Amino acid sequence: MAEVEETLKRIQSHKGVIGTMVVNAEGIPIRTTLDNSTTVQYAGLLHQLTMKAKSTVRDIDPQNDLTFLRIRSKKHEIMVAPDKEYLLIVIQNPCE
Amino acid sequence: MATRARPWQLCSAGSAGAVALATSGAASAEGPGRPGQLQDETLGVASVPSQWRGVQGIRGKTKGCQTASIATAEACAQTQKHADAEVQTEAPVPAGVLPASQHDSPRLAAFLRRVEAIVIRELNKNWQSHAFDGFEVNWTEQQQTVTCLHTLGYPPAQGQGLHVTGVSWNTTGSVVACAYGRLDDGDWSTLRSFVCAWNLDRRSLNPRQPSVVVEVPSAVMSLAFHPTQPSHIAGGLYSGEVLVWDLSRPEDPLLWRTGLTDDTHTDPVYQVVWLPERRHSHRFQVLSVATDGKVLLWQGVGAGQLQLTRGFALVMQQLPRNTKLRKPHRGETEVGATAVAFSSFDPSLFVLGTEGGFPLKCSLAAEEAALTRMPASVPLRAPAQFTFSPHGGPVYSVSCSPFHRNLFLSAGTDGHVHLYSMLQAQPLTSLQLSHKYLFAVRWSPVRPLVFAAASGEGDVQLFDLQKSSQKPTVLIKQTQDESPVYCLEFNCQQTQLLAAGDAKGTVKVWQLSTEFTEQGPRETEDLDQLAAEVAI
Repeated sequence: MAEVEETLKRIQSHKGVIGTMVVNAEGIPIRTTLDNSTTVQYAGLLHQLTMKAKSTVRDIDPQNDLTFLRIRSKKHEIMVAPDKEYLLIVIQNPCE
Repeated sequence: MATRARPWQLCSAGSAGAVALATSGAASAEGPGRPGQLQDETLGVASVPSQWRGVQGIRGKTKGCQTASIATAEACAQTQKHADAEVQTEAPVPAGVLPASQHDSPRLAAFLRRVEAIVIRELNKNWQSHAFDGFEVNWTEQQQTVTCLHTLGYPPAQGQGLHVTGVSWNTTGSVVACAYGRLDDGDWSTLRSFVCAWNLDRRSLNPRQPSVVVEVPSAVMSLAFHPTQPSHIAGGLYSGEVLVWDLSRPEDPLLWRTGLTDDTHTDPVYQVVWLPERRHSHRFQVLSVATDGKVLLWQGVGAGQLQLTRGFALVMQQLPRNTKLRKPHRGETEVGATAVAFSSFDPSLFVLGTEGGFPLKCSLAAEEAALTRMPASVPLRAPAQFTFSPHGGPVYSVSCSPFHRNLFLSAGTDGHVHLYSMLQAQPLTSLQLSHKYLFAVRWSPVRPLVFAAASGEGDVQLFDLQKSSQKPTVLIKQTQDESPVYCLEFNCQQTQLLAAGDAKGTVKVWQLSTEFTEQGPRETEDLDQLAAEVAI
């Protein structure tokens, strides 16, 4: 609804943000600002990576849990905020 | 003188055997025994028994053998039941984005409320952070210099003094093919020439012996491998024909040919490219450009014939008048095309290089009929939409940038490379690379600001517009005696390889240093900035 769109718009208009998307627990994208094929690719890959990162943290310390995941690459940075039901993925081009 | 035979005794040294010379009595009667008479006598047989055997004796033993009995057993097997099953792959269904559903919204809103603060905080921190300044990770081995990996040549072609007129890499990036011909012949020649291919991934690579050699009745001017079939290759000949070969069939490689019909070019074909069909994008057609002013699109139909599907003709009177060109001589109406490059962003847009030195922006979708009297089975159209300002001589090579929709390069015989934007007639920059001709120019497939040019002075120049816009970053000397380099191609699969062919008949495969193969962080933006310098 309106609140959801506004929040996503606020994040998308931040400095350097290239794309924003919300993915549900099965890895299916629900909201996105990028084109279809790119979204599907990011959603599938990052969903798997987030599950792996979460299980890594839990295996090292069962009392611990994953709160945030950041991947820095040559061209940009991908940030994933995980939750029980959804994943928020933001791709930003940091200033270089 | 005695006539009576006497028994002789032979004693052999050290041997116990005795030899007896048996004599029989004189066969005939002794006769009167008169001495001095010759008589017939029969002597007996002399036998010499073996001494060795007598010493050794014969030792003999008797032995027998018998194979053990073979154990056998009988058993039966029979399939009881079977089932048939078929498997068929389906085209992948593109996954889609779930449409916004209403009842999800409250939970979605709550989730976003929870994470928004942390995400905004991280975005801000990232924007101001200097933590990663100057931090570079190298995943591959760094190569500092440009080295020559292979020097390939075909001795019979080199012996005839043929030049390498075209090189092409195939779709998998492992086979390089070169075409032999001559670029400086003024008139019709019946020189036989060759198309040779080397498979660089084979261990038994012999640089003097190509893996496939195809003999061609006329000089081949350009080559292009099929974009998806690794063994199909198209070539344009000096006689105006276009041929397609299948290199996986060494005994009869010719697949399709245009033949010498009314449709074929009447001048040498300078370049051939493969284009996807409009409706079936997995099937391809061959486009050929020649100096008779025609740009023809061919489709392979059965029985090995290439049929004309669409044709364009360039006529001087129909060129767009936005640039002032020199007045054509009387009777000169055709504009010879010497190079073609298609835009990677718009598949119907292409740039033609011409003998008059001015690149033309053309479109496959042009509808206007060409004012030409050349016979053709399909109506010829006039494709030109925009004329760019000319070089000082014919343009031999054009290349459209794979990273920006408006930029393209053209290289001409005046030794200059012009960087044009599709939006204006004047070039954005003009670089003088050589005092002789420039024969080929190509954008790098991985670095947006890098291009390579082949010059008539025998070297390959690599330009990095990010480092310097005046002089080449690397100058590779291909030939020792300054004979020209006629063609070069980057390998799109193995991006560090560059093949260049020269007038001595050798193809050299160069391995570029890592700075030419890895994209830096801000190159696309720099390219956009360069393209935006369009004069108002």
